[in-house]
Amino acid sequence: MTHPMNSAAAICGLGITAMGRVYRDADDLAAEAVYLAIEDAGLKKSDIDGLLINAGVGNAVSIPLHISLGLQELNVLTFMQGYGSSAGQMIQYAAMAVANGLANYIVCVFADAPLLEGQRTGAAYAGGGRRNAMGSLYPLYGFAGALPMYALAAQRHMDLYGTTQEHFAEIAIGQRKWAAMNPAATKREPLDLAGYNASPWVVEPFHVLDCCLVSNGGVAVIVTSAERARDMKQPPVYVRGFAQAHGHDAGMSNQDAAIHTPAARSAPRALTMADAKLSDVTQCQIYDCYTYTVIVTLEDYGFCKKGEGGQFIADGKLSPGGALPTNTGGGELSSYYMWGMTPVAEAVIQGRGQGGARQAKNDLILVSGNGGVLNYHATLVLSPEAA
Amino acid sequence: MTKSPSWLPAPDDSNLPFFEGAKEGRLRLQRCNDCSAWMFPVRVRCQSCGSTNVKWADASGRGTVYTHARLQREYHPRHSGRLPLVMVQVDLEEGVRVNTNLIDCDPEKVKAGMSVQVAIEHSPSGEAVVVFRPA
Ligand SMILES: [Zn+2]
Repeated sequence: MTHPMNSAAAICGLGITAMGRVYRDADDLAAEAVYLAIEDAGLKKSDIDGLLINAGVGNAVSIPLHISLGLQELNVLTFMQGYGSSAGQMIQYAAMAVANGLANYIVCVFADAPLLEGQRTGAAYAGGGRRNAMGSLYPLYGFAGALPMYALAAQRHMDLYGTTQEHFAEIAIGQRKWAAMNPAATKREPLDLAGYNASPWVVEPFHVLDCCLVSNGGVAVIVTSAERARDMKQPPVYVRGFAQAHGHDAGMSNQDAAIHTPAARSAPRALTMADAKLSDVTQCQIYDCYTYTVIVTLEDYGFCKKGEGGQFIADGKLSPGGALPTNTGGGELSSYYMWGMTPVAEAVIQGRGQGGARQAKNDLILVSGNGGVLNYHATLVLSPEAA
Repeated sequence: MTKSPSWLPAPDDSNLPFFEGAKEGRLRLQRCNDCSAWMFPVRVRCQSCGSTNVKWADASGRGTVYTHARLQREYHPRHSGRLPLVMVQVDLEEGVRVNTNLIDCDPEKVKAGMSVQVAIEHSPSGEAVVVFRPA
């Protein structure tokens, strides 16, 4: 029996602002993304009756956005936070809301502006001051922000399974090939292994090029019922299935949290809702805050056995022309970093068949969102076809 | 002579036993009096059973490397001249995972599973900093 939420909702609008060193308030970037999405969907502002808001590291967008937007009569409005899983989460809650008549057109928006004029990129995500003596130990040890934690996780995968630096390089290089075909991508110049190896170390085993970009910008999507989406300006991208899974080692040593992530519990349930198998997936948009995140997520999603992710991707199957096109816009590593909205936005473009030179087979698109240090996970299964 | 600037704010009531222990070369952690679970960093309530009956106790200071990485960019005076600084997560015998540094080791030879033990470093202003070294 088909799950009642399988194809009950669809994405009908997408708005993406300029990305990168765009020195504007996050609230204004969010507002622009919303207006772009409304125009893209062929809607009027007065059609919008729901707004879900997620802010990035700058945490500068919240409920007052609806005042900036002049959205004075809303039936759904809240601020949400699940870090990198937020975008997927917002779409899930919006899908359930429109399917149950709470609202007709719900905008899900993310915006962030961590880059300040004259400041180094790395400073944006380095993590703020810590007040107490215990927390103040961390910078002494080199622990600042998420980056070292992901580097530590990646090194454990190398130690346990023989995953190599070249495997991480393949992710960075393969995604750059996709980015070259994406006019909106920040980094489009070709990258080879020598270029990857020449990239400075940050926290070894991560070079700069193992890490996502830092971007100012905003992305909004509009979720409506499948019925409404059918006859709109844009081809509908149906929400076929979704799930979330969250967890944390909580400072206890009984969890192998660097290797086994909540993604493993999320994807099977999303696929079950979609009445699909992993082998039905024709492309992936995998949250790629770091190169390792792609490898561990593909493993946890079941594309290969645990530990074999490096070998799995080594033949270039994620790259243009490969068997499993993944992060076809260049991902967070090469296009732009809008947390979970980066994979979501590319999935919408691909689901509509608007990928141009980089368009990949789009029958079934698996989308991941990941937050914290492999802690918070959301999966979406999207498709141009309803169930 | 000018006093070196402190690297750490003064400990408060919540974490004073940790820093007092470190001064004496001991690793002190919180432990639940009801279910015996250890915890790190500072908690008000036991994560395992919910009890607030939490006391400080001496830990073994022994553990294994869960994973490791090498800091290659310095941004704190302590990093100066020490790159690559070996960052580790240590799984203590007590069942908690601690983010720290491994000293007195060849960075290229550190491996997950390696046995380590607690060590104490002193900052220029005399603060005790808990680190680990190969056992
Ligand atoms: Zn307890």
